[in-house]
Amino acid sequence: MLRRSTTLAAAVLMAGALALTACSASPSPAPSTSAAADPDASVAVRLVAEPGNLDIRETAGAALDQLLIDNVYQGLVSRTPEQDIVPALASDYEVSPDGLTYTFTLREGVVFHDGQPLTPQDVVWSLTQVRDTPSYRDSDRLAGVTGIAVDGQDIVLTLAEPDSSLLWNLTGRAGLILKEGDTIDRKTAANGTGPFTLSSWKQGDSVTLQRFEQYWGDPAGAAEVVFAYIPENQAALNAALAGEVDVVTGFDANLAEQIEANGDFTVEVGASTDKGTLAMNASEGPLADVQVRQAIRQAIDHDAIVEAIGAGQTQYGPIPELDPGYEDLSDVAPFDPDAARELLEEAGADDLELTLTIPSFYGTTVSQILVSNLHDVGVTLKVDAVEFSSWLNDVYINKDFDLSFVLHTEARDFENWANPDYYFGYDNAEVQELFAQSLAATDEAEAAELLAEAARIVSEDHVADWLYNGASVVAVGASISGMPTVNVNERLNLAELTKSEG
Amino acid sequence: MIRYALTRLALLLLGLVVASVLIFLTLRVLPGDVAQMIAGVGSTPEQVAAIRTRLGLDQPLFLQYLDWMAGVARGDLGTSLLTGAPVATELAQKAQVTVPLGILAMVIALVFSVPLGVASALRRGRADGTLITVGAQTLAAVPVVWAGMMLVVVFAVWLGWLPAQGFPRAGWTDPWAAWRALLLPAVTIGIVEGAMLLRFVRSATLQAVGQDYVRTAAAKGLTRTQALVRHGLPNVGLSVITVLGLQVAGIIVGAVVIEQLFSLPGIGRMLVTDVGQRDLPKVQGELLVLTGFVLVVGFLVDLFHRVVDPRQREAE
Repeated sequence: MLRRSTTLAAAVLMAGALALTACSASPSPAPSTSAAADPDASVAVRLVAEPGNLDIRETAGAALDQLLIDNVYQGLVSRTPEQDIVPALASDYEVSPDGLTYTFTLREGVVFHDGQPLTPQDVVWSLTQVRDTPSYRDSDRLAGVTGIAVDGQDIVLTLAEPDSSLLWNLTGRAGLILKEGDTIDRKTAANGTGPFTLSSWKQGDSVTLQRFEQYWGDPAGAAEVVFAYIPENQAALNAALAGEVDVVTGFDANLAEQIEANGDFTVEVGASTDKGTLAMNASEGPLADVQVRQAIRQAIDHDAIVEAIGAGQTQYGPIPELDPGYEDLSDVAPFDPDAARELLEEAGADDLELTLTIPSFYGTTVSQILVSNLHDVGVTLKVDAVEFSSWLNDVYINKDFDLSFVLHTEARDFENWANPDYYFGYDNAEVQELFAQSLAATDEAEAAELLAEAARIVSEDHVADWLYNGASVVAVGASISGMPTVNVNERLNLAELTKSEG
Repeated sequence: MIRYALTRLALLLLGLVVASVLIFLTLRVLPGDVAQMIAGVGSTPEQVAAIRTRLGLDQPLFLQYLDWMAGVARGDLGTSLLTGAPVATELAQKAQVTVPLGILAMVIALVFSVPLGVASALRRGRADGTLITVGAQTLAAVPVVWAGMMLVVVFAVWLGWLPAQGFPRAGWTDPWAAWRALLLPAVTIGIVEGAMLLRFVRSATLQAVGQDYVRTAAAKGLTRTQALVRHGLPNVGLSVITVLGLQVAGIIVGAVVIEQLFSLPGIGRMLVTDVGQRDLPKVQGELLVLTGFVLVVGFLVDLFHRVVDPRQREAE
């Protein structure tokens, strides 16, 4: 009898373990405090999603960008919270008027964390590696770079065609400079040039960065920054109230009052490029009818969604306000349940039943509103909350879905609407042409103009809905200064972060 | 006895092999794989395929299984596809949280369930006895997550006596801080497991009270309680040990949930993360160790019974 029960217990244990699903989520410096900064301070910052490994070259996910770019690894250029492009490892750069030649002057005296000097050859090697290794992230972003050459302390990039997105791309993964011939295991270690060294990674708990004393620029404000990975907002709130973390990123705006109650924290809300994207699979079935898609958009009460989330703003097209090419498209599909019902009637889509595939870590706020909004116009919505890995497999790879919700955080990612192979499945020659022209433009204003034109077409085709443009909600401890609060999901440059004594 | 032990050992090994096949196959049913997770959003099918080939995920399942088993036979539990870290190392590191948590939870469960279980049996039919029984049934029905939440609200948020969640980053270098971090989660598991244990202790005690030898002892002039303590409780103790063996699995499952809730960097939380990342070689190594642990505990409990319980030996 007992034997059977131990086997049973083992079976229960296995079943329990296998039935598990995983969890994850999403954030102008905060006001300074008057007290003096403590140069030996250790600051604990709560982050939501932990990366699977630290391989900045191959592993996807904003979690790695947040952690490593600007803090540990650097590129020739970097971006500010205001989304401007500024020199980083290059002290200066110049673009030829025809947009075909980019000349970067490399800073002198830069050393890697292992003590080796940064040479122009390291830059050439890094950029060439990315361009020529298809499995590297953003490899295709350097596809148009035909020449990568050294000229003394300068690095010269030559293009066959102008590419108005190149500089921006160089502020991201494609532009990061690593040491040639480095033998570190990038999955668990890092050797960059940034203001912090990667000192330890305790999986499932935290990553610790330490100030790099030989940094070429102003030394980091804090001696140590600990990224504490806490997926649950309530747990993060508890940790903050118990004094275990100094900063909470990806915070739930609805908990603001609780965290501010005793005056130890201030909640800062900054703009972001987080786009709550409701993709619609127009390849078959009722969603192939543009009237049905428009009806779904007009049935959704976007203001109610923003209100329920507690931060952010509405967005009626593919480009958020922080990105070039933004314009207010609220006239394209305003909230109007009556119009939605009429459209559905015209399309002959009565008793419509659809399934929403949504990664479970986004919670239920959005899906509940969608279910109720669509029910009001006679559409039955079934919610299928899945693990992110299931979403990737079913929606992203196999394009097997009706409606899908994901928060796309990446800045300047309009290209996905010009890519028919992307899971959006949107294939519009005019949009692709406008996007190509925008890339080829040598004038920023012109490039943005063309993007705006393309974005309007995407919205008017009702290929998706944008439920909201998220905000970066960050709770900052009273003793903390220099915490970035704009687009924190994308970048989290903590060089200026300080903690005052006391 | 030796023959029994060997038979029982053979069964244990068979159980492990069956478990390994089940674990391997069930994990392969999950949609998606680690190559997709690495490549993520913004990847092309070619990128995913290249990563898959590099990781050996394109090998036939049968070969992957044999590979795993060959490693296990050599004492190698496997490595993480994401970080290259050996499963054994990761388990050992996370066990520093989960093992003390489990032991503490078990101690808490025993400390309140054994005395109360015996008391409620002896006070059967009286108000306080009924109160204990009803209380235990209520507690056993409480979802672990909810119990944990309530404890956090009271002891961490309102009273501020204990940390709300997390584990000191310095680990056991500061034992006091480490135990403090484990106390609330352990109480949470201990209450729920202990409530089940209490009901069991109660019925074992009632059974013992009704046994002939206890009644004989009572007839010889001992009070009912004295008779029970002297002659009945050893048997109750035997039963409790058996149930504790079974509860090991319950505590492990409880730890999975509780480590999520309290953000404890233990084995349970690691399992959830690894399943989510589809790091299957790592998950299967972890599950095999946990399953093996449960089976070995059952094996030891059986042997122990055999040794101390004369009736089982006579039956041979």
